[in-house]
Parts: sequence; structure tokens; C-alpha cells
Amino acid sequence: MRDTPGNTSSDTHFGFRQVPLGDKQALVDDVFRSVARRYDLMNDLMSGGLHRAWKDVLVTAVNPSKGDREFALLDVAGGTGDISFRVVEAGGPNTRATVCDINGEMLAVGRERAFERGLDDAVTFTEGNAESLPFADRSFDAVTIAFGIRNVPRIDLALAEAHRVLKIGGRFLCLEFSSVDVPGLKAVYDLYSFNVIPAIGKAVTGDAEAYRYLVESIRRFPKPNDFADMMRDAGFARVSHQSMTGGVVALHSGWRL
Amino acid sequence: MTDTPPAEHAAGTQDARTVDPKLLEILVCPLTKTRLEYDAEKQELISRAAKLAYPIRDGIPIMLPEEARHID
Repeated sequence: MRDTPGNTSSDTHFGFRQVPLGDKQALVDDVFRSVARRYDLMNDLMSGGLHRAWKDVLVTAVNPSKGDREFALLDVAGGTGDISFRVVEAGGPNTRATVCDINGEMLAVGRERAFERGLDDAVTFTEGNAESLPFADRSFDAVTIAFGIRNVPRIDLALAEAHRVLKIGGRFLCLEFSSVDVPGLKAVYDLYSFNVIPAIGKAVTGDAEAYRYLVESIRRFPKPNDFADMMRDAGFARVSHQSMTGGVVALHSGWRL
Repeated sequence: MTDTPPAEHAAGTQDARTVDPKLLEILVCPLTKTRLEYDAEKQELISRAAKLAYPIRDGIPIMLPEEARHID
């Protein structure tokens, strides 16, 4: 990774570094390429298994049709298929999911798992950019993005695209790390995330830098109320969020009405 | 999750190298948002509007302009 000039108007953030907007996607790609196969294992280790509970809340909110009605989910940045498998398993026989991720390595892992689980008819995979989705307007009943939006260089574009591909009455749900607001917890969380997570990352994937980036990117992500404003700007209605685990994570929700 | 018997899943409607027909129905060119033509032989999705052919590799459509082939 190279040194980059400071804060110009076309820069974005890569963790705590300012990088030219055009470079961020390549840097993020490197991170996920290096960790793809062990990504879900890392999530378990880093969150102490909590990510499963957070994702359960997300899947419950998606609320796929339990009957025969067709239900189409788009999971953006859903590479390894984790959310899509959960939604399809929670839904009825006509629940389908499409994973869209910019990273081919993550998708390859996801597709392999879909075949292993016999879910290859219900879950499909597409390589695409969250800022410029390759789907027709009003195609999906729900759009999710779990722990992905902070890696998108231009979040406003990704939100506008999520809104575009939703059917009228469809729901957007975004699970993302948030800002810990409980004083004692905050100190522990800081210590843990800046020291322990990169160390686990190094031990499991051989790449501490990748996980240092992830931790830094969490701190740079907009606060829940600011993110809610961005969602409203993208056209979402009835925007709300709920904090979980003392603010470690927030589930953001908005509707296309 | 479905009442489809496992045998039917194993037989499947497609093998690992082709694209799901239901996915093809909703895919558009990410640049122009226009419909695509499916070239089954070349395993490409063609956007006449953008003059690009998007590759399909191992059944996964690669809908990134930087990965697409320019066509006339």
C-alpha cells in the first residue's frame, strides 16, 4: 500500500488514512481477498459469536414470506452468502436471495457453500458494485447490507441504488458497527478492537493490517443519526435504527414508499 | 426450508457453470440500466447501449465495466 497525499476534495478515508477516492476500492478489495476463506470464522472469533445474534435480528426484520408468496432479497456486499442462507432458510418455498459483491473471492466461497447446502437454486451470486447495481428498478422485496456499507467509497450512491432496486413497499436494512456509548464498555471496546482484533486477525488470516483497517473503518463510519439523515436523503421513509450490545452494532431500517 | 425433495435439488435446473434464468430476468447493465442479451455460447451478457460484453465465469455474472469486453 502506498503513501497518499492529504485531504483533497476527491479523497475518501481508508481506515484512518485519507486516500484518493479511486484508490479506496482497490485497497478494500485487497483486504477481503486476503481474508475471504476465513471471513466467517473471523467474525465468530472477533465478536465472540455475537454476530450470529445480530444477524438473527436482521433476518427477523427482513421477515421473508413464510407461505407460498414470492419473496426476493438482495444482499449487497454479502459475499460468503451468510445472510442470504439465513433468509432463505427462514422463508417459505418461494423465498429467493441474490448476493451482490464486488469481490470475486468472497463470491466463490459463497457459491461453493450454496452448493454444499443444497441452496444453489434459491441463492444466486453476482459480482457487482454497490454504487452501481446491475439490477432493474423495483426488483426486490428487501435489500440488506450487513457490515458492508462502511467499505463502500461513496455511501450516498449505494443508498440511492438500494432505494432504486427496491419494490414500492420494500424495506432496506443495514447492519453496521456503531459507536459504543456506554462509558465503561467504551474503554474495553477500544482496547479490544485496536489491540486484540488485529492480533486475532494476524493469527487466523496472517493479515493484521486487514483487520486494523476494519477497526479503523468502524470508527470513521457516520454516527447513527447522521447515517439516518443520509438514508432520508436517498429517499427512504420511516427511517429508524436500533442499537444492540451497548451500541457496538446498529440495525438501520428504511422503507421505499 | 422448502418441501422440494433433496433429489430434485441434486438434479437441479442447471449445472454449476450456467446462470440462473430468474437472475437473468432482473439483471441490467450497471451503467445504462438497460436490458442485456444473453450469449449462452460465449457466456457473456451484452449491453448494446454501453457497447460492453460482461463475462460470466463459473456461473457468476461479472457486472463490472472494468471487467467487460468492448464491442462495436
